[in-house]
Amino acid sequence: MNILWLAIEGLARKKSRNLLTMTGVLIGVFALTMIVALGQGLSHAVTDTVSGSDNLRQIGLTGGYGIELSNNPADVTIEGEMEEDRRERLRRAAVNRRQIRQWSGRRINEIDDKTIAELSKLPHVESIMPVIVERYTFEGAIKSDGSLTGGLDVNRRRYADRVIAGRYFSADDADEIILHEYMLYKLGLLTGKDYDAVLGKTVTLRSIVNAGDDPTANAPPQLRDFMDSLSDEERAAMMKILPKLMQQFGQMAQAARKPVQREMTIVGVLRETVPGDVFNVIEDGNAVQTDVFMPQETARSLFNESAINRELGYPRALVLVDDPENAPAVEQALRDKGFTAFSVASVLQQVETMLTVITVIIAFLTGIALIVSTLGIVNTMITSVLERTREIGIFKAVGATNWQVQAVFLAESALIGLAGGLAGLATAVLAMIPGDAIAGSLISERAAVPYTGSVFVVPLWLALAGPALGMATAILAAILPARRAARIDPVKALRHD
Amino acid sequence: MTELIVSATRLSREYRLGTETVHALREVDFTVETGEFVALLGRSGSGKSTLLNLLGGLDQPTRGSIVVAGRELAALNATDLSLYRRTTVGFIFQSFNLVTSLRAWENVALPLVFQGVGRLERKRRAHELLESVGLGKRTNHVPSQMSGGEQQRVAIARALVNSPRMLLCDEPTGNLDTGTSAQIMELLQQAHRQGATLVMVTHDPELARRHASRTMRMADGQFVPDAQPQEAA
Ligand SMILES: Nc1ncnc2c1ncn2[C@@H]1O[C@H](COP(=O)(O)OP(=O)(O)OP(=O)(O)O)[C@@H](O)[C@H]1O
Ligand SMILES: [Mg+2]
Repeated sequence: MNILWLAIEGLARKKSRNLLTMTGVLIGVFALTMIVALGQGLSHAVTDTVSGSDNLRQIGLTGGYGIELSNNPADVTIEGEMEEDRRERLRRAAVNRRQIRQWSGRRINEIDDKTIAELSKLPHVESIMPVIVERYTFEGAIKSDGSLTGGLDVNRRRYADRVIAGRYFSADDADEIILHEYMLYKLGLLTGKDYDAVLGKTVTLRSIVNAGDDPTANAPPQLRDFMDSLSDEERAAMMKILPKLMQQFGQMAQAARKPVQREMTIVGVLRETVPGDVFNVIEDGNAVQTDVFMPQETARSLFNESAINRELGYPRALVLVDDPENAPAVEQALRDKGFTAFSVASVLQQVETMLTVITVIIAFLTGIALIVSTLGIVNTMITSVLERTREIGIFKAVGATNWQVQAVFLAESALIGLAGGLAGLATAVLAMIPGDAIAGSLISERAAVPYTGSVFVVPLWLALAGPALGMATAILAAILPARRAARIDPVKALRHD
Repeated sequence: MTELIVSATRLSREYRLGTETVHALREVDFTVETGEFVALLGRSGSGKSTLLNLLGGLDQPTRGSIVVAGRELAALNATDLSLYRRTTVGFIFQSFNLVTSLRAWENVALPLVFQGVGRLERKRRAHELLESVGLGKRTNHVPSQMSGGEQQRVAIARALVNSPRMLLCDEPTGNLDTGTSAQIMELLQQAHRQGATLVMVTHDPELARRHASRTMRMADGQFVPDAQPQEAA
């Protein structure tokens, strides 16, 4: 306590020099706090967005290439007598061949109703719902020559709250559609009156390519441009190959598809997501571009009317696990069955690990500022010890122990560090107010998912760690100068001027 | 027989300057009885301050023994020497040696700071002592706002704040005029009357004769008979 008083008294004598030294610590702690708070904020943003709803119970399932073989050369056995480096080369070759097969090979495990029924029996699996996203044309009350449609599990009612006109689906297999407000806007329909004009009306849904039609109708524009650039001969040949090619890759195998057609009733209008809506990574991720929504069973029966679809199976499915805790186990079980599976939880964990790693790396780089400020403290303390040599002699003459002399200088430095650290923390917290606004607007400009929370988050441990770190580095910096002060010979010091 | 507070035998202090050795004290035997007032005379460089520093535990001998108040100072470690200075002796220097940024009362209370005495108690004791040296009205002045005599009185108050058994004074009036010197000597006498043992270095044989109970003379690191008729200037 008394030592602290001496330290404060000593600091007060050279205010501007000590303030400057403190500013060094301030900058270091400020930068560190900002960086770590940003890392924390981003991680919270990810977690908050994802952990709502039942995200952590979900697993995205796609067809697989059979049971995945290890990609670790050490797991491969190469038999026969040979030199070790050749064996090593062959091991790597085996693994490389496996990987290529995994990236380009045809899937051998497709998702169809049979496999869904089978996989549903896995322990902890609550339900498996195929994700159905198909493009159809519409004619009647509205007209579209190709809109993306998606099936919604009517029982989950997640989308019911977003209906702004009309009503939600009446049954899981009703021939009803709900249109996205953006699609209606594109069609020039905006007001309640406009909506009333289409609600309750019927439209005819058709699959896009009828037999014998142009197989490139639904191809990407680049492909069509490419086709236009070909000679007539080449184009004719291409037209023959293209349907086979597309079928081979399991996409848009329209040529072989029997036309699907059904009368649908427009029952509602769905609004775009807004901040505050619960975001569901897999369901909403699939639906980002969907214009026309229909009940899941309706979508499923339309999908299965096509022979090609039945053969190729569903592109993806959504697995719901009974409890988030069981997600990793189910994920592994699905992989063991030869499917590709990613639980939202495991992706989340990867993202968080990455964020943490990045934060730690940047924080270390930022720590250089703190190291520089440490040099400033060393300099200040050495100067201070020299200037006060005589005073140190007096302290010793009146009975100060070496440790007490040392403690005075350590305390001075600790106070500089603590004050700098607190000021750095305060500056950081102040800077986060505009920082949050700027980062928030940047994020809302770019991200598909609206996020309303803070981008910078200062948890209690960070608020304590900043000043503590400032103080700790300052004490470290003062150890040598303070020792030097303690070792001063009092007889010489008292003669010093 | 009166108790000895200081008993030094064959006390030597040497300084090494490169290859040369300076003998500041050469095998000195020296005793002081409790309650004595010893004056040390001698030319500049004769070793007076060196002896005083050894007595005060600010320095340690190269060889020999120095027992003060029952403790062998030559054998104490740094911390024990500090505790010895804190409890047993008070220093008064020619150049006052006050902390320039501290007020008079804070300077007086400085030894108490290192003993962990609380601020209120420090202030009370300091004021009491400043009162007794006639500076009751100067307690909040810093050294630069005081005359030399006033500063030395603050230093005396500081030396007395721990009620030490022995006061060590290195030319306490060396920087002061005759009138002021008399005031200072009066204060030292007062401390002596109250029971403190005094060892005082001075260049003024007249002063020594008037105040000290015994006068010793040093030359070249040794004691010499105090019989010279004339003094070194
Ligand atoms: N740190 C040191 N290094 C080397 N020599 C020293 C040191 N301190 C003192 N001396 C030498 O020791 C001798 C005695 O010094 P001391 O200070 O005791 O003399 P003094 O009698 O007090 O003189 P003065 O009356 O001038 O104060 C001197 O020759 C001095 O030069
Ligand atoms: Mg001297």
